[in-house]
Amino acid sequence: MTDRSDPALIRQVLDGNPDAYGALVARYRERYSRFAVHMLGEREDAEEALQDAFLRAYRSLAQCADPARFDAWLFRILANRCRTAGARRARRARTFVRDEVALGEASAEHPAERREWREEIHRALGRLEPDQREAFLLKHVEDLSYEEMSTLTGAGISALKMRVKRACERLRVMLGEVQHA
Amino acid sequence: MHDDDQHDELITRIADELRTPVALDPGFDARVMAQVRRSARARWRLALRWWTEPRPLRVSPLGGLACAAGVAALFVVGLVSLRPASPSPIHEAVTPGKVIAAEPGTEMVQFVLVAPQASTVSVVGDFNDWDPSRTPLQAEAAGGVWSVNVPLRSGQHQYAFVVNGKEWRPDPTAPRAVTDDFGSPNSVIVVGSKST
Repeated sequence: MTDRSDPALIRQVLDGNPDAYGALVARYRERYSRFAVHMLGEREDAEEALQDAFLRAYRSLAQCADPARFDAWLFRILANRCRTAGARRARRARTFVRDEVALGEASAEHPAERREWREEIHRALGRLEPDQREAFLLKHVEDLSYEEMSTLTGAGISALKMRVKRACERLRVMLGEVQHA
Repeated sequence: MHDDDQHDELITRIADELRTPVALDPGFDARVMAQVRRSARARWRLALRWWTEPRPLRVSPLGGLACAAGVAALFVVGLVSLRPASPSPIHEAVTPGKVIAAEPGTEMVQFVLVAPQASTVSVVGDFNDWDPSRTPLQAEAAGGVWSVNVPLRSGQHQYAFVVNGKEWRPDPTAPRAVTDDFGSPNSVIVVGSKST
């Protein structure tokens, strides 16, 4: 049986078979697209950042020190791309998520309140400082430990805890009002 | 405490909502892989161009000297390994006394002596330390003609024939030497001119 593990696929790519990279793209695109969309708000921007991250990872694949941890390595590249894209976009008008596909799915399954609730969450996320938004998503949505977050972002653990705490406080304020409205 | 529980519940609800998968454009994989393949082709082209395109080379003077010394050493080693182990054989037919082509700086001289009664003939001179054992002449098929080809450097050389290992004879066809170092008559040959 063919070995389809990350290290085996990476070995195939490095041996001159770029098509083997397709399996890695298919394996991680959904998991990481969620993070990119929530970080950047716009799906187009998120797809661009994710595509860029995949391409950068491909070009630097030989530098992936631990192929068994390709997912974490790719996530670090994506997080950096999101920061860069977010900083670039911050110079333009601030935008919020208009993920019509996801919102469409939500509205088909639930009543209109669900759609409204989801829009409010994305709007509130967009109001957070980028480093707070990143810390909140990594901790509460991607379920990373503070040690993993520190490795990923390069920030200290106490700084990350503070960012998560402040993000939660602001979300409580912004979304608590909506919930009680 | 109740308020904190409510807040935790709120954060959990937010996180649950944000964990919902986000659908990507259906052509996303194809776009990424098209770029990956382009990048792979570009990498090969770049590698090929690295070998084929001329490029400026910056070398320090010391590095340049080291490179030049290395190339010179390789050249010398190549010359030594290409040089034949023994002199090339002479294929050209010669006539007695004729000077023919030899290694650079030398000319091949054919010494000839007609001695029908001799059993051995050799030539001695300043070119072989007057040693009778070093340059024997070979008897030709008939007529008592003895000959040998000797490479000589340009210039004047004195020589004589030694018949049967003890009898020194000057060359009857060549001029005699002015001086006679060994008390016997010697002949003279000048290599580098047409006279023999």
